[in-house]
Amino acid sequence: MSKKPGKKNASWIVRLFRGGSNTLADEMDAAKAADVEAIVSPVRQIVNNFLERKLAVGALILLICMFIFVFVGPLFMPKYKDAYTEVTQQSMAPNMRLMSVPKELKNDIKMIDSYGSFTVGLSNAGKVYIWGSTQLGTTGIDIGDIPEEVQNAKIAMVAAGIDHVVAIGEDGHIYCWGANTLGQYGTEAEAEASTKGVNPNIAYMPQELADEGVDVANVKKLTCGYQATAILMNDGSFYLWGNKLTYANMDRYLAMPTIEDIDFTLNYIVGLTAKRNAVYTGSRDLYTTVRANVGGTGVPINDFLDGRKIESITATNTSMCLLLDDGSVCFAGDFPLDATKVPELEEGEDFIQIVGGSYHYSGLTNKGHVYSWGSDALNQCQVPSSADSATELFSGSFQTYAKDANGDLCAKWGLKGYLFGTDTRGADIFQRIIAGGKMTMTVGAVAVIISTIIGIIIGCLAGYFGGKVDVLLMRVAEIFSAIPFLPFAMILSAVMSRMVLSETMRIFIIMCILGVLSWPGLARLVRGQILVVRESEYVVAAQSMGVKEATIAFKHILPNVMSVILVSLMLDFGTCMLTESSLSYLGFGVAYPRPTWGNMLNGANNATIINAYWWQWVFTSIFLAVTTVCINIVGDALRDVMDPKSSVEK
Amino acid sequence: MAKYVLKRIGYMLVVLVILSFILFMIYSLVPANRAYTDAQTELKTLKNSIPKGQEQEYFDQIYLRYQRAYGTDTNNKIIRYLRWVGLYPLYDGSYDGLLQGNLGYSYDYKKPVVDVVAQPMVNTIKLNIYATILALGITIPLGIHCAVKRGTRFDQGIQVFTIIGYSLPTFLIAILFIWIFCSKLHIFPPSGMKTPGTNFTGFAKWKDEMYYMCLPLIVETFCSLGGMTRYVRASMIEALSMDCIKTARAKGLREKVVIYSHAWRNALIPIVTLVVGWFLGIFGGSIVIENIFGWNGMGRLMFQGLQVADYDVVMLMQMFYIAVSLIGTLVIDLIYGLVDPRVRVNK
Repeated sequence: MSKKPGKKNASWIVRLFRGGSNTLADEMDAAKAADVEAIVSPVRQIVNNFLERKLAVGALILLICMFIFVFVGPLFMPKYKDAYTEVTQQSMAPNMRLMSVPKELKNDIKMIDSYGSFTVGLSNAGKVYIWGSTQLGTTGIDIGDIPEEVQNAKIAMVAAGIDHVVAIGEDGHIYCWGANTLGQYGTEAEAEASTKGVNPNIAYMPQELADEGVDVANVKKLTCGYQATAILMNDGSFYLWGNKLTYANMDRYLAMPTIEDIDFTLNYIVGLTAKRNAVYTGSRDLYTTVRANVGGTGVPINDFLDGRKIESITATNTSMCLLLDDGSVCFAGDFPLDATKVPELEEGEDFIQIVGGSYHYSGLTNKGHVYSWGSDALNQCQVPSSADSATELFSGSFQTYAKDANGDLCAKWGLKGYLFGTDTRGADIFQRIIAGGKMTMTVGAVAVIISTIIGIIIGCLAGYFGGKVDVLLMRVAEIFSAIPFLPFAMILSAVMSRMVLSETMRIFIIMCILGVLSWPGLARLVRGQILVVRESEYVVAAQSMGVKEATIAFKHILPNVMSVILVSLMLDFGTCMLTESSLSYLGFGVAYPRPTWGNMLNGANNATIINAYWWQWVFTSIFLAVTTVCINIVGDALRDVMDPKSSVEK
Repeated sequence: MAKYVLKRIGYMLVVLVILSFILFMIYSLVPANRAYTDAQTELKTLKNSIPKGQEQEYFDQIYLRYQRAYGTDTNNKIIRYLRWVGLYPLYDGSYDGLLQGNLGYSYDYKKPVVDVVAQPMVNTIKLNIYATILALGITIPLGIHCAVKRGTRFDQGIQVFTIIGYSLPTFLIAILFIWIFCSKLHIFPPSGMKTPGTNFTGFAKWKDEMYYMCLPLIVETFCSLGGMTRYVRASMIEALSMDCIKTARAKGLREKVVIYSHAWRNALIPIVTLVVGWFLGIFGGSIVIENIFGWNGMGRLMFQGLQVADYDVVMLMQMFYIAVSLIGTLVIDLIYGLVDPRVRVNK
């Protein structure tokens, strides 16, 4: 706007010097050309008009991208499962740095350990590094804040639990930090002195350990469980403390003087008996059968061992891997159905080290090969080729790190992180958004197709035949539009939830409910349009030529009301999506585990969660909002460009 | 006119009957048997006084008694429906249905549905009156302004804003506002109806109530801004493009007079109908908003009733919603005739 006067002035200057006639003629030609528009077909005209609206075009592009995103996206996540839950990965903030080993540590690794959301590493110089998602839930604790005394001390060993870290200094002093509400660390005396008091469900850290520390040279193994810690000495004695509610067999272990090896699954402490021929859990019949490979048939442990001894025990959350003295391995416990198997080793090739994460194992053989097996749900088993120079492996939660002979990090594989964080059940929100979008859009689309078909048929019949048919159909439409939408849909859904129906059937019925309740608007619109068109000359002409009634209704009249239908299709699609989301949000639509954008927001219903776990609603909301806003913008623009009257007004 | 109104009311009743029948049939799909559960509870209290081995016999007796009392001693659903309405006698020959004033009994609250609904109804109306006044107070001036300044930056901005406003689901706006006002700014309480543990009276009570009402009020108003503004704008634009406006302008009337006296009166016709519809809508609470903010209103009652399967409450509320919506259409049609002399309603 503001540029125009300037341009005019400039052309006046040009005319002043060059004489007016030439430029004037040019300008007039240009003006003429602009006035006379080429005649184009109506469709072309609509497209042209639409393309002029930048906002609408942008919205359309965004909408198409969204469609591609949710309908093509699932093809790229074959491992995705609706009902996936993971207790150690609950409510993690968006973070793609779960596997980013700090630069200073990369060439100087002594050990690495992790359990849940973060990883702790130790350099040969005795310095501790922590990376990953270090904010612990709503507690406000950042486990990445390594205490001053730990930073100053020279550390010999570290281990990580779900929300605490234990480090042993070179002088034997034990350092712990992180959450300690459930006995992760701290002695009984400390608990008594604090406001919390002594909790009978906690096995406190032994007093002598806190006072005198531990003989570092004799520590064989330091390992952490969910909220528990164990230190195993070379002579078989061990220290154990933590939350008894997580590890029901802790009392039995506390009563034992020695054990050969110890580790934690998610629910049990597992140990190796003095004879090295059985797994000790403190309860009978648990882990008494083993299998030679993942998914193989179980054999009683005594038959399988046949005189061989168990060297070491490596536990994941649900299973354990036993390394035998002849170099072979066997497994006890449960594996997911899709778990990958241990590869067949060559003749003479044996495992020399086995490490375990939350659901996977990594093994190093005497020929220098590295294998990963177990659950591959988060890419834990994708071993890169650079891992073949490894001499030592470290594994925890969903990652494996390989160290070569120089102490350098030569390979790392596993879970990088979660782009949009995880939900309260530990599932990846990004993947659920894709799967949920597919469901939301499908429900919306099917519902709108149902409502459009009903609306067109009833509208056409009422409008074309008029008279009694019209009165009857419009009364029916009135009945349907007198039903308050959301309450009625909720009632139907609640009624359905008390009947025995499969989930797919339920979803289909929800689509039908949405469709059947939302047709009256379109039916009235179509009827009105047809009433107008019916009186027009070409219809009268067709009638007088003896064209069949049905042909007139569907071939002559329907195409002329198509624009109205298209626009309403678009806008109704948005409305149906919104209704479905509201229903699912209230818990009356599609139910967990099937994700939709509505029921994914279900958890965000109190101020604490809304604030602390912002990622659990922000991203889903953005996707839902962007989609519906785009649909409405495009629909509005379509209505404007398809209605010739409104373009005159513009 | 009177004949027309009577005809409409008659038609309304027919629709109400049809819908009540449909609703009743839907509810009868639920595999719930109140007589059975009540009979079992009674049997438990009688446990000691019943001779051994005769439990089944006793149970059958009690069960039959309850079935007869509730009118479920037949499998014929039509008869059950007629009994519910009050047109068919129960086993003992008495009539006890909607027509006799028996609106049902809430099994969750253990009192008649009418008593259960009373307080939430007051709460909902309280909230909705404020919301309606606020929304109208904002949208009408805004819509007129946008229509008059059509095509300007301001108008375009408002257009985009209103599209966003009515595209977002209510619960999303509620979550967003809770986040902004409760979590970040700590201005308003996130939910509830009064400060717990207090017992204010008079002005202090009103102040406390308003404080808790603020956020649901803001959200409810905000949600209705989008659609309403667009509606006012559209009808105002239509009015401004009429020939009489050109004439008025040609006569040399001041722009203010043209807009507020000539155009606005014409635009008012569709708007009035909407406003009337809104005022009728204040009886039915917003299910989503009342739930999120813990506002003990009609919507929340309905939601809870559905969750605990307290179907007498839900059924009555649903019938009430339908009645309100039918009355609403009738009133709108009549008002339409009143404000626009060109429309003859009795046709």
